[in-house]
Amino acid sequence: MNGPVSIWEQPGTLAYKFWNEGRADIPIYDMHGHMGSHNGIYMNRCTPESMAEHLRRIGVRHLVFSHHHVLFGAMRNAEVVEICRRYPDLYRMYVGIVPRYMENVREDLANFDKWAPYAVGLKCLADYYKVPLTDPSWEYALKFADERALPVLFHTWGNSKYDGGEVMLKLVQKYPRIKFFIGHSLYSEWDMAERIVKESNGNVWLELTAIPGEYGLVEMLAQRVGSDRLLYGTDLPWFDEYQGVGGILSTELAEDDMRNILYRNAERIFGKEW
Amino acid sequence: MRNLFFSDADCAIGSGPGIGIKPGVKQLLTDMDRFGIDRSLVRHGNSALLGAEAANRELAEMLEADASGRLVGVWCLLPDQCPELPQGDAFFSAMKRANIRALTLLPKDHLFVPCREAIGRIMDAARERKIPVLFKTEGNDWRNVYDFLREFPRNRVIVYERWGKWGRDRQLRPLLENYENVVFSIGGYQVPEGIRDLAELYGPERLLYGSGYPLYSQGCGMLQVKQSGLGDEAVALIAGGNLEKMLAEVQL
Repeated sequence: MNGPVSIWEQPGTLAYKFWNEGRADIPIYDMHGHMGSHNGIYMNRCTPESMAEHLRRIGVRHLVFSHHHVLFGAMRNAEVVEICRRYPDLYRMYVGIVPRYMENVREDLANFDKWAPYAVGLKCLADYYKVPLTDPSWEYALKFADERALPVLFHTWGNSKYDGGEVMLKLVQKYPRIKFFIGHSLYSEWDMAERIVKESNGNVWLELTAIPGEYGLVEMLAQRVGSDRLLYGTDLPWFDEYQGVGGILSTELAEDDMRNILYRNAERIFGKEW
Repeated sequence: MRNLFFSDADCAIGSGPGIGIKPGVKQLLTDMDRFGIDRSLVRHGNSALLGAEAANRELAEMLEADASGRLVGVWCLLPDQCPELPQGDAFFSAMKRANIRALTLLPKDHLFVPCREAIGRIMDAARERKIPVLFKTEGNDWRNVYDFLREFPRNRVIVYERWGKWGRDRQLRPLLENYENVVFSIGGYQVPEGIRDLAELYGPERLLYGSGYPLYSQGCGMLQVKQSGLGDEAVALIAGGNLEKMLAEVQL
């Protein structure tokens, strides 16, 4: 097993630390998580307890999540706040916005300030509801976020008529103060992802869930928009944190870029204590 | 010096009109060095469109550029009623000459039924010679895998998936429970702590490190295996020990 020195064998690097110790002396902010069971996937690590164990093993400082059962069922965001209260050092939440339940949306947003420090933004999942983000039913929540310059994590996917590039471009032009977290980075619609970042006023970040590990994609996005515009995410409990971090460490990016993605960009948005 | 031997069970090289320009031998070896991969089991990435005969031939030619012998090839099989590939012992002799030690099949692309009537002779020969057969799952519907394993339960079959990243335990676990000769290559399997769960349920002997290269980088799955939470012995088996044993037992 002699041979060239691999990325895992270079002392002092992040890769070396994660390989040998399972964690490094950095915080990790996972900006795209969920919780709870799922209709199509057996998720053996979807409870607050089991997810916390996984997150702490690798050193995730905060996971920001929206609960599956809020997004796909009748669970209320207030119940998610109570979960966060049990793990005040670990969990932060996006308030799930379901435009077909407008009464709930109004009530939840009226409570938003009371849910600090746990509620840090909103989550919109237009693809799954087949309601375009340009539909008036989203406006109440998006105006709320715009007035307060809140982060909103949008599930996006390339060429979707609900949350694809054309839709997101309109939104970025309409809401100049929202902090846009473009979930999955408009997967496959890379030209538009780049354009949206470059035509924004500095309020757009590409979130990487489902991308780390794909050959050359993180490098390509960093080259297009800069590593300071990328946020780390895993969709946990969908994807393993070691797979996600491994996907960042495996890139040919400089370590400064990796640090931007794993924690520095989140700290620039939220500060060091949040 | 590394203390963990990695063998990648799930790699493809070669370009094609449908897949574009993809890494070849030189790039794969460079990537293997970068991550510390000792051996890779390699298919032709354009087999689906190019066809078995031409893809097998091209792969053998490509592997000639690997003087190190770190790349081990995988050939496509076809029904032998149509004599497109060498027949009988000649096929296995050709495999040996070209450093091919595993087989695969692409019945949906190469248009045949993967049943005993069509490929029984070559599958029986593969079983006797302990040649692993790679079988790719198709999207959300795994019935083709189940059908194939019912036909050939005694063959050594490496199941791998290439659809997406959704956790496949509802499809995968029944296979591992019911077919003792099946092993699973983990490329694209990104379930949190999932490697540890599968190893504890079915044994680490049933899992192979596989990257899914070049769709996926080889590195991310390595960290997932190394930090799976399993003991060193189990990690070593999954990382490369299981595949090395399988390849060493092949009789050509």
